[in-house]
Amino acid sequence: MVKFLKPNKAVILLQGRYAGRKAVIVRSFDEGTRDRPYGHCLVAGIKKYPSKVIRKDSAKKTAKKSRVKAFVKFVNFQHLMPTRYTLDVDLKDVVAVDSLQSKDKKVTAAKETKKRLEERFKTGKNRIANHGTVVGNLLCEIQV
Amino acid sequence: MVAGKKTKKTHESINNRLTLVMKSGKYTLGLKTVLQSLRNSKRKLIIISSNCPPLRKSKIEYYAMLAKVGVHHFVGNNNDLGTACGKYYRVSCLSIIGPGDSDIIKTLPGDH
Repeated sequence: MVKFLKPNKAVILLQGRYAGRKAVIVRSFDEGTRDRPYGHCLVAGIKKYPSKVIRKDSAKKTAKKSRVKAFVKFVNFQHLMPTRYTLDVDLKDVVAVDSLQSKDKKVTAAKETKKRLEERFKTGKNRIANHGTVVGNLLCEIQV
Repeated sequence: MVAGKKTKKTHESINNRLTLVMKSGKYTLGLKTVLQSLRNSKRKLIIISSNCPPLRKSKIEYYAMLAKVGVHHFVGNNNDLGTACGKYYRVSCLSIIGPGDSDIIKTLPGDH
């Protein structure tokens, strides 16, 4: 009976263009708003995962391959699959409700998110045990 | 032998308790509403029939694990569960929101 769709929860999108992508809940509106009379939340997720880096890659190639592309979106709760993982990346100041009002605000929000996610990914990469971290999991594609 | 008898007895008592809840408590039937109120955490207990498709069953169980709600696997398929609810249709998952007679909520998670 604990409410589990809280901010910072890792979540998988089930429908839409970003189906199958992992995302983090930034803010949740359980009762809905006037425009959206259903329970929904604001998520920030990964549009394009970083690709696999091999030892042979040059530094330039590594940098290029570790890029992350992010998105910001309102999603109905029904179209999310919650996981038991949380991601403690601070996205609340970056992604606000009004950042989806206009296209350029959306772009800046997505860029900030991308930056934060990328730096988490990179510090995760330098650690020895990478596969256990949530960030490592989040930034890998789901193996179907 | 004894084990078989015991399950039959508890089975019947589950049925009895279900009819009590149908009369006096609040409940919803069906996957969509089960998931919806799992998200709102208004659930107290979930009952899944035995022939619920396994993907759906594990989805409900995962949500319930996140929401810390008890799940009970009903002994019998969705026809039986529908009959136990007093409905003329099949019910493969049902959830109890409010205890009419709060017996069922205390006893069933213990059984499970």
